[in-house]
Amino acid sequence: MTKQIELSGVNKYYGAFHALKNIELSIEKGRFVALVGPSGCGKSTLLRSLAGLESISTGDLKIAGELMNNVPPRKRDIAMVFQSYALYPHMTVEQNLTYSLRIRGVPKAQARKAAEEVAATTGLSQLLGRYPRELSGGQRQRVAMSRAIIRDPKAFLFDEPLSNLDAALRVHMRKEIRTLHDRLGATSVYVTHDQIEAMTMADHVVVMKDGVIEQQGAPLELYDRPANRFVAGFIGSPAMNFVPAMVGEDGRSLAVDVGEKQTIVLDRQLQPGRKVTAGLRPEHLHFVEPGQGVFRLPVGIVESTGSATYITTSTAAEVTIVETSRRPVRTGDIIDVSIRPADVHVFDDQTGLRI
Amino acid sequence: MSDTNRNRLMLVIALVMAAIYLFPLYWMFITALKSGSEMFATPPSFWPSEPQWGTYAFVWESRGMGRYLWNSLIIAFGSVTLITVLGVGCAYVLARYRNVWVDIGLFLILMLQVLPASLMITPIFVGFSQLGMLNYPRLAVIIAIAAKSMPFFVVLVRATFMAVPQELEEAALVDGNSRVGAFFNIVLPLARNGILVSAILIFMQAFGEFVYSKSIIQAVELQPASVGLNSFMGPNTNEWNNIMAYATIYVTPILAIFVLLQRRIVSGLTSGAIK
Repeated sequence: MTKQIELSGVNKYYGAFHALKNIELSIEKGRFVALVGPSGCGKSTLLRSLAGLESISTGDLKIAGELMNNVPPRKRDIAMVFQSYALYPHMTVEQNLTYSLRIRGVPKAQARKAAEEVAATTGLSQLLGRYPRELSGGQRQRVAMSRAIIRDPKAFLFDEPLSNLDAALRVHMRKEIRTLHDRLGATSVYVTHDQIEAMTMADHVVVMKDGVIEQQGAPLELYDRPANRFVAGFIGSPAMNFVPAMVGEDGRSLAVDVGEKQTIVLDRQLQPGRKVTAGLRPEHLHFVEPGQGVFRLPVGIVESTGSATYITTSTAAEVTIVETSRRPVRTGDIIDVSIRPADVHVFDDQTGLRI
Repeated sequence: MSDTNRNRLMLVIALVMAAIYLFPLYWMFITALKSGSEMFATPPSFWPSEPQWGTYAFVWESRGMGRYLWNSLIIAFGSVTLITVLGVGCAYVLARYRNVWVDIGLFLILMLQVLPASLMITPIFVGFSQLGMLNYPRLAVIIAIAAKSMPFFVVLVRATFMAVPQELEEAALVDGNSRVGAFFNIVLPLARNGILVSAILIFMQAFGEFVYSKSIIQAVELQPASVGLNSFMGPNTNEWNNIMAYATIYVTPILAIFVLLQRRIVSGLTSGAIK
């Protein structure tokens, strides 16, 4: 596979502020990569650096094998979909679509034909003569997408393109973008703060925090083996439970501190007596018959959505449990809960790294 | 007090205020139509008994108003062109770059606006005379007006540019345009209304400008209408109907433009304030 985008040792400073710290990222042709993280983590800065709207301070940035550090955006041959869509308000849909072609001197008839073709695939054929202000949010989104795909760029950059849409449309557009990506065989970089978007759309997820790549890999790899506490807490919804724990004398059990000390068996050997944090995903905790569980937990809050019941315990370190069975639970009940040893994540108390 | 009553009271107050504010204008229009004796009648009449329409033609001919208005137009258009060409670029830069120097620049620009023309004319006159600019008096006035009105224009147009989202420019850059191309293709068309409105306001200011023209332009045939009106009046003036007719001819076109465009002007001035 050829590398379409390569970043090595990339740093970005705004004055004294270190926005991107030693970024190493390589994206193969045809991949869909999601950059995800809380606001201010540097994901948008990274995307804008790829587009050439920000310049990087040190390191190498290559697109299709060519060094692009000081190349202006117009010569990078990339397309970008902005959060606000950034449609030109004084141009019709057709003029918006063909703008990049007209700048490159493509003949009018040919540009028009290209616009019609793209509009046909994105369902905009009837709207070519309209102005952006006459379109709905979803239609504007489609125009922004079409404007990007009309000229077969080296890479597509998406800057939180779905955040202005309502929930139902967002789920729909998620699929549509992914389908479009697959059909075009494009290389896409997608910035989002929504981990569900990242998990569902991408082949490769990059989790960032404070300008650092915390972990990158396939979505399920991040879910199954989070490299540190931050990634563990960020990926998955509802978020992973973290409880203080200590490795037992034998090194194969954890004394977990939820209200009272309770013991879980581990499937691996750890240093006895070590203080750690145990990570337990809400969906990995299951109800069992009394006396058979690893935990006995007092129920605090019960929220039911119909498909699942969210139970928050009234222990000092709150634990959330997602239960899909309709077993009746009430506040104040004591429930027995179990977890498979393989589903227990253990993190170092000090560094937060996975053990 | 009920809502309707309060609204009525507000309307009455607004009408009274408008009447007070517009009375001089009204007085100008009717005085121009009065005959010599009616002008000085006590108590004054509020409606001319025999409108003297001939006064207009007489004043236009006898004072050579065509020439005066032509000079006013040249000065106004010259100033607007100079200010627009130079000010748009300046306003754009001040809108897009934020740092300490830009803030200092903006402060200095606003300070310039504080200095009155009557204070500035002496140094400007001396400077222009040293440079030999007084040989081109209308050009000298255009430059002086441009210097005086530029800050006003820059501040207004800067607000217009700030209302154009930066993402549009970035989209144009990614789409393959250069900085300059994006400015002319995207930013300028979107800021057009604001620039137009500011230019009209500058035009009206320059069309009525007096201090610089009076001081710099000595030759009668090069003077604008404002100076012509001034020379009409002396210590023993009694031909008020002629003066008012002159004033009417002078200001009516500007008033007409303002009334026709007032909706756009007001919306232009407040655009960006709302959204």
